[in-house]
Amino acid sequence: MPKCKLYAFMLFGKYINKYYKKYWPFFLLGIIALIVVDVAQTFIPRFLGRIIDEDNQLIADLSKLGEIIGGIMIAALVMFVGRAIWRLSIFHASTGIAAGVRKDMFAKAEQLSASYYHETKVGNIMNWFTSDIDEISEFFGWGTVMMIDAIFLSTSVVISMIRLNIWMTIIAMIPILLIIVWGAFVDKIMSSKWEARQKEFDRLYDFAQENFTGIRVIKSFVKQNKEIHAFAKIARKNQEVNVSFARLQVFFDVMIEVILVIELACVFGFGGWFIYAAVSGNPIVIFGQTIRLTVGNLIEFIGYIDLIIWPMIALGQIISMRSRAKGSLRRISEFLDTPLDVVNPLNGIKLPNCLGEIKLQNFTFSYPGSQKNSLNNITLTIHPGEHVGIVGKVGSGKTTLVNTLFREYNVERGQVFLDGVDIMDMDIPNLRSNIAYAPQDNFLFSDTVEHNVSFSMEEMDREKVKNAAIFADVDSNIASFPKGYQTVSGERGVTLSGGQKQRVSIARAFYKNSSVLVLDDCVSAVDVKTEETILGNIKKYREGKTTLLIASRVSSVRDLDKIIVLDKGNLVGFGSHQELMENNPVYQRMVYLQQLEQEVKGGE
Amino acid sequence: MDEEKSALLGDKKLGIRAILRHSWPYIRQEKWWVLLSFLLILVTVGVNIALPMFTSRFVGVLKAEYNNDTLSIIVGIALGYAGLGIANQGIRYLQAMLLQRSGQRIVYQLRMEVFTHIESMSQNQFNQMAVGSLVTRVANYTAAVSDLFTRVLVSLLSNIFMVVGVLVIMMSISIRLALYLLIFAAVAGITSFVFGKIVSKIFRKERQYISDLNAFLSENLSGMKITQIFNQEKRKMHEFDEKNGAIRRAQYNVIIAFAIYRPFLNLLYYGSIATTFFVGLSIALGSAEIVAFYLYLSRFFNPIQNIADQLNQISRAVTAAERLYSLLDVAPEVVDKPDAKPIEHFEGRIEFKHVWFAYEAENWILKDVSFVVEPRTTCAFVGATGAGKTTILSLIVRNFEIQKGQILIDGIDINDIQIDSLRKGIGQMLQDVFLFSGSINTNLTLHDESFTPEEIKAATDYVNATPFIESLPNKFEEEVLERGENFSAGQRQLLSFARTILHKPQILILDEATANIDTETELLIQDSLQRIRTIGTMLVVAHRLSTIQHADKIIVLQNGEVLEEGTHQQLLAKHGHYYKLYELQYAHQEKQAEPVIEVQPA
Repeated sequence: MPKCKLYAFMLFGKYINKYYKKYWPFFLLGIIALIVVDVAQTFIPRFLGRIIDEDNQLIADLSKLGEIIGGIMIAALVMFVGRAIWRLSIFHASTGIAAGVRKDMFAKAEQLSASYYHETKVGNIMNWFTSDIDEISEFFGWGTVMMIDAIFLSTSVVISMIRLNIWMTIIAMIPILLIIVWGAFVDKIMSSKWEARQKEFDRLYDFAQENFTGIRVIKSFVKQNKEIHAFAKIARKNQEVNVSFARLQVFFDVMIEVILVIELACVFGFGGWFIYAAVSGNPIVIFGQTIRLTVGNLIEFIGYIDLIIWPMIALGQIISMRSRAKGSLRRISEFLDTPLDVVNPLNGIKLPNCLGEIKLQNFTFSYPGSQKNSLNNITLTIHPGEHVGIVGKVGSGKTTLVNTLFREYNVERGQVFLDGVDIMDMDIPNLRSNIAYAPQDNFLFSDTVEHNVSFSMEEMDREKVKNAAIFADVDSNIASFPKGYQTVSGERGVTLSGGQKQRVSIARAFYKNSSVLVLDDCVSAVDVKTEETILGNIKKYREGKTTLLIASRVSSVRDLDKIIVLDKGNLVGFGSHQELMENNPVYQRMVYLQQLEQEVKGGE
Repeated sequence: MDEEKSALLGDKKLGIRAILRHSWPYIRQEKWWVLLSFLLILVTVGVNIALPMFTSRFVGVLKAEYNNDTLSIIVGIALGYAGLGIANQGIRYLQAMLLQRSGQRIVYQLRMEVFTHIESMSQNQFNQMAVGSLVTRVANYTAAVSDLFTRVLVSLLSNIFMVVGVLVIMMSISIRLALYLLIFAAVAGITSFVFGKIVSKIFRKERQYISDLNAFLSENLSGMKITQIFNQEKRKMHEFDEKNGAIRRAQYNVIIAFAIYRPFLNLLYYGSIATTFFVGLSIALGSAEIVAFYLYLSRFFNPIQNIADQLNQISRAVTAAERLYSLLDVAPEVVDKPDAKPIEHFEGRIEFKHVWFAYEAENWILKDVSFVVEPRTTCAFVGATGAGKTTILSLIVRNFEIQKGQILIDGIDINDIQIDSLRKGIGQMLQDVFLFSGSINTNLTLHDESFTPEEIKAATDYVNATPFIESLPNKFEEEVLERGENFSAGQRQLLSFARTILHKPQILILDEATANIDTETELLIQDSLQRIRTIGTMLVVAHRLSTIQHADKIIVLQNGEVLEEGTHQQLLAKHGHYYKLYELQYAHQEKQAEPVIEVQPA
């Protein structure tokens, strides 16, 4: 088989090539072992041919028979060792590639910024991590085996065939070429059908998942029948694509078998005719060449065809396997190629002793792909040690403002300074180590409460964990759990209530003991008394340390040093409660609205 | 999917008989097709056993003395081989497609039955089951069970026939040689079986590690933000490495096991070929017979390997079947009584008569609760967490069955009302607003196309949701992401109200969210609540002081008992429990000199 064919079978790409470099000795060893096995295999039909042709001599001369038997046993032992070696080395390489690519992907996942996770479903990323990596691993493992067999076993068989008889070989090769053409033809349709089938399965899976998650709503609106009906459609579609995929697959297999049957029939017909003619005294002569063939030769030939079946089928499979692996590699490469929008600057500035002065200079921000500015030309300074509240309507830019502080997104228009250093010039890990954050959604890892609280440090300090929990007023709750601080928070923290998760999240941020602490609307799910305790603790424990508190209600922030008032992304007020009450209409309106509610109550 | 992790509460061991009993209805529908394809398999097995005899005969003819018929016999053998071989493939195609079609029909029906069954389960049962495990049952286990009957068992049988057939024919040629070969076959069979046992253990471990890693990945991809802002990428990388490495080590065990097993079987195969040649010649078998043995050997060893493999597949499929059928065995806890009546319209008088309720035996959540809510009035429930407020609401819609007492709507025991009609009449606004991926429209109508755009708009107008919807780029067609995460808590609340109003209930129950809602949206919500409560009877678990004060009746609960009831003014005048709760709150507000909307009695 021509050499260019080998190239067409392989898979290249910048994320894969380095693994060729790393694992080539294993591939080489495995491939050599495979080739040795391939060659050894072709000896068996030769022995068979001799047994047929020389049966009478062999019975007479047992040492000659012993030679053949010994030959078979040597070939068998060589194959035994060779097969063990190729399995160990090639699969070592293929699982190694899978593990390596998986690691590359996780490393990439750790670099991708919030905007990427905002746009991409976790389920999709998971698919790349699972089925696509499996596909690639399969290709490098079984794919390599199939490829080598397809090339070397068939070559070694064809050479043995030609050695026997060139005309018989030509007769046998015609149908084999048909198999290759047929394989290439089916390959294209097969991979598109395979994808369609996968897509339908995903649809079924997602539908069931969402339905079961939202079952309460479905039940409360009595929509079960509508859902069952919708599910039936998807299940029916799955049935159809599966059948149509199976039809193609079965038809492909059957056609290959048919070709092989025709091939063997040709060998019987022509071979038998050649032998008959030769034995009858008028051998067939083609192009001046007399065809001499014995029965043993013919059986040997049939033995070779037996051997060539697998590489031919492999050839058909490798084509579709490669196209699947190529698709998988493409998706993985796209993921690994995702441009990083938040990149750590070279020699970024580090602030070992951060004071916590935050300065925004004409800071304007819009989310990637959005026309609207989420923050508009904000200029303000938060002095070291100040406790500052941030209030504003939903969508006024409160969370956006704090998210940019630790570079979830880039600062593109205007500037943001921490202790006078533009945060775009700062070393990102250092910047983030200086700012602690308790986000709005209370994501906890499936780990013990104490590990969740001490998440910012490799080493856990029980004392500090307890203090942090006291700060967040969750210590007594945790203590009341049967396992206390060793309570494992379930997937996404299901074993804890929303309010408890919120407070563990606050404790986690406090534990970090950073110069700047940002609490993003963290007291929404806790009762007023707890909120008050936490606010008191902020005052007490964060004294002299910059602390930002986003709040929905003015009451949460009115006692803080200063309050930032945001409205539709604009800074409309910045000052103490008293100052704002005097001169800030938006703030006054917020307070007024809450008073209004009070008056409504009073009227009853 | 990992077997341990996808286990559900109801899972139990089922005997083979139980599995067959459960499967029978599905197989029965396909029995003629399965039987037909089984017969076709017998034919192909027969042909596969017959084909080597052509080769054998061919050798016999060629090695014998030739006569006038020899050439025509040779051509006859070639044509016969071609004809039989091609016909056999035609039969194979037919047979495979018959089974595929039957199998897929069974998958479809199993999926429908499981899905429908899951839809019928009660809330309580849902709370105890992991969504992922339920999905696995619908998507994967159904296919595994269908595979068991349409692929694994059928091919197991065909392999057994093949082995037996080949053995019989070998014995008919030479018993002695066949017996020698039987030794090899026995070793191969035993090796395969033992190997299968070992390897299934190793495989289980591998699957376990893979699902560990997947769980880790899915959690960490969701929580990547936290890892990043806490600078813990290195540590997470380390954890990832450990899990990734565990998979590799487990995979290496699999590789080693196969690197011994497969080559060993091959060695046996070649050993049996050598034996055939040696013994065959020693006992003076003819070339034709030796060729026959040679060809049969591969038709003998492959099925033996397959049988061992399929036995293992069966045990895996049986686990899938057990999981699937034990889920189907879980009877819905809350079902219609046979004589339950549908109710078209509720006036909305709700009465609890000495209701006792416990999620688990004797751990009473509600103790002898009695109250009456008159039609078109609003009743607020207040009390500490765990007092039983939310439970009362979920009992009215029969998410759970009460143990003692009676719940009546318009004087009818709710157990006598068809659940569907009961729930249609009651609009539920839950604490966690769940939005489906889709559009705002589909979330409001829940795919009920009988609602007109005007009706939808009227509903959103009614709850003050229209302005924010219309400010979105695609308005009512705006995409809603998974779980509605592209909307704020307040917006989700408004959408939930609109969804409820659109479905025109006569009774409303509201479990007020404590979520952070900005004042502006909060006012919109309160304003729409004012209107919503005029629709009909409204029961509300209240967190807002304004909601409580607007209520026609307040019921104060403590530890599952009704402590007090009355209007806000009456209860205050009583100087009882409510008064204390309110005082606490009121004093707090006075100290702050700032209105606080939330009241969360401690």
